[in-house]
Amino acid sequence: MKIAYRHLVEYINENPSIEEISDCLFQLGHEHEIEENIFNMEFTPNRGDCLSINGLLRDLSVFYNVNTNQEIYNDKLNKLEIDFENLSQDICPQISFLKLEIENIPNKYKDYLNDYFKDLNLNKNNFFTDISNYVSYENGQPTHCYDANKIDGKIVFKELHANQEFETLLEKKINLSDKNHVFLLNDKVINLAGVVGGKETSCSIDTKTVLVECAFFKPEAIIGKSVKYDIQSEASYKFERFVDPECQEKTIRRFIKIVEEHTNIKDVSLITYKYKKNNVTKIPVNTNVINQIIGTNISQNEYLTYLSKLGFIVNDENIEVPSYRSDIETQNDLAEEIARVIGYDNIERNEINIPKAKLSNIYDIENKLRFFLLDHGFYEVINSPFVGTGSSNSICVDNPLDSNKKFLRSNLTQSLLENLLFNERRQKDSIKLFEISDIYNIKDNKVNVSRKLAVIASGRAGHNYRDFSKKISKKYLDSLFRESLPSENFEFKVLSRDSLNTKVKNEIISCEVDISNFSTDVLSYSEISKPPESFIEYSPISDLPYSIRDLSFSVKDFTELDKFKKYILEFKHDLLKEVFIFDYFNNEKNAEIKIGFRFVFQSSDSTITETQVNNIIDVIIKHIEEIDGITIPGLN
Amino acid sequence: MSSNKDISAPKIIKDRGSIHPINHLKDSIMNLLVSFGFEIIDGPEIETEKFNFDMLNIKKTHPARQMHDTFYVENKSNLLRTHTSPVQIRGMLEKRPPLAFISGGKVYRKDDDATHLPMFHQIEGILVDKNISFAHLKDLIYKIVYSLFGEDIELRFRPSYFPFTEPSAEVDILSSEGKWLEILGCGLVNPVVLENCNIDSNSYSGLAFGLGIERIAMLKHGVKDIRDFYKSNLDFLSQFK
Repeated sequence: MKIAYRHLVEYINENPSIEEISDCLFQLGHEHEIEENIFNMEFTPNRGDCLSINGLLRDLSVFYNVNTNQEIYNDKLNKLEIDFENLSQDICPQISFLKLEIENIPNKYKDYLNDYFKDLNLNKNNFFTDISNYVSYENGQPTHCYDANKIDGKIVFKELHANQEFETLLEKKINLSDKNHVFLLNDKVINLAGVVGGKETSCSIDTKTVLVECAFFKPEAIIGKSVKYDIQSEASYKFERFVDPECQEKTIRRFIKIVEEHTNIKDVSLITYKYKKNNVTKIPVNTNVINQIIGTNISQNEYLTYLSKLGFIVNDENIEVPSYRSDIETQNDLAEEIARVIGYDNIERNEINIPKAKLSNIYDIENKLRFFLLDHGFYEVINSPFVGTGSSNSICVDNPLDSNKKFLRSNLTQSLLENLLFNERRQKDSIKLFEISDIYNIKDNKVNVSRKLAVIASGRAGHNYRDFSKKISKKYLDSLFRESLPSENFEFKVLSRDSLNTKVKNEIISCEVDISNFSTDVLSYSEISKPPESFIEYSPISDLPYSIRDLSFSVKDFTELDKFKKYILEFKHDLLKEVFIFDYFNNEKNAEIKIGFRFVFQSSDSTITETQVNNIIDVIIKHIEEIDGITIPGLN
Repeated sequence: MSSNKDISAPKIIKDRGSIHPINHLKDSIMNLLVSFGFEIIDGPEIETEKFNFDMLNIKKTHPARQMHDTFYVENKSNLLRTHTSPVQIRGMLEKRPPLAFISGGKVYRKDDDATHLPMFHQIEGILVDKNISFAHLKDLIYKIVYSLFGEDIELRFRPSYFPFTEPSAEVDILSSEGKWLEILGCGLVNPVVLENCNIDSNSYSGLAFGLGIERIAMLKHGVKDIRDFYKSNLDFLSQFK
């Protein structure tokens, strides 16, 4: 909600700066941003009472002397004769109708009304709707204006249980479905209660006689409607968050006053239906409890003074909660009020000592498996549980984000297979992935959960000269896993590539095991590597293709061998992503070592060119050529 | 010239994998909290409305319960938990105070953009004992934030609203660019929640806190798009070795 600084400050005697008000608002818990002297407020959902100038001023009155007594129309009003029936009094326990006829439509607004539209960059509609919007901005109570000449029958408020088309005053056609609280005129919907009125009965720039409806609706009848029908509605935003059930008459009288300040009123009459008395919440005064909750030591006098400033009626025994504070019911609620006023950041810390708990080891087996896989070059992934296909025992999501993914996955392997293909498409030639996650399905009409480990691998066994030419196979993984975890049964299998959209031919090996199948023998695995302890600054990744170059060297003078290897393996360039030894052969008979390096290049902003790669390779070659006894066979 | 008979082969650099950065951070925070005295408890991701909402004082009318915010499954018989708080409810029903639990894991909400995903990770903690105050909560939060970001970090507490805590707060840290960034929510356990778990709220009070792992991971690692965590891209994952 947008609130202009100057609209606020004109009611504050101390005339604080925008920065001072901003600090107070943050302390009170009212998040906001400031743009060109406008507070763009984001209130917590329990503070519907703050959704207006007056509401915000009520909260600020704990810091400033504030005067919000805008003038209202005080004369006695004639009783309006109206044919109205409320069939849902529980949802709408109070409603007023005002009928007002004016002599002329004013062609100029008073400064305060003009400023409201100008400062907040809002469009004007028509005289009565403009006043309705202004009054809602000023005191938080939405009103709805019907053109009285278009109301020619009985108005009924009820919960409609039938589908009906309804055109809003913004000319949007919606199909009302399920249950909606509406106002009907001769059985036709003229207003989706608390959300938006209808086009047929709306005011126009020519309207001189208005019927203003001012009601209290319970939030449960309004919540979700604007989202369901995709309607931007400030009224529903307020009703969803609770409006003051006692402010309707004051609102109506303020409405009349503003009309009166602009034009002559020919006729005015009002009727108020109040079906139920509003309950007043009273909470016993207990300063000790408040201090205990916050951890402070404030006096009773200080405590009650704060509450009085916030509009609570206090005496030595009870605190009476004002009607607009529906969020206050308990001592903890009052404690929060006091904590806000003191300022959360001004409350001293009190050292907390928690007795040491029994150490839990529920994740130990999982962690050991993680470390084992980490040691063997596997990367952990986390996948979304939402998938497109399910079986008869899959769990179905009633309201998926994507209707093509309405099931919860019943295995991890399918997700890992997609991850593997994704990385193959990104030119990865050695892929080892694993995931540990819960899997859910329906068993005996109940939700059944099992915790699984799944592993998938394909391509080269590794990026070193021993593993580079080895391909990952079932046998390879069997022996790798059995060597370290001999008593566990992984049951690797080969996944067919037949139905996969890929040209890669490498075998895909996978297994999926229930974590509960692992024995505590896993705990004896002694990990080699651990995850990093410090946090790594991430470098954005490129989606552009790699360029790969291999360079094979013949070394006949071994004195410079270590220096040569170090130079290449530690060579740095922005475009060089990876370098490793993929081939090594020591031919003792010929007194020659052959060593092959693979260079992987990638650019982050454009597809890497041959020239770019050649330039880098040339730098390396030029350097190596200067070393005696090291040559590149075949290079002229 | 030396003979190649004396030359040892280059060291074989074995490929190491990596723990997923989200799980790694989750484990680090869980370990930190365990060192403070919290006990790890676990619970299901498919929950009932009772545990996910009712017991936590989230009223039937609360917007979070709407179909546009929460994933319901199997004809609304259950839902995907929207936070890890129901685990704490299960813990409180099982054990008597004093108690100090943490739980971490996946949670689900109907969001999908550069900073929100339908699946993300949370860690929540609860401590129930006699005379627990907001001042104790502040002390604990300071300890957690200092451990995560170092003692030079500036933090602030802002009043907020959660149905299951009262008073409630959100905690921001000041980034190096001078911007306040929200990192966790916390508060004193609403007495209604304690009573729902058969804990006498006149004798006991509690504190609770919850943090989103992705949010902190994005801050700590400088990841701008939350979706990068879940693309399973080896170029991304290999940076976290």
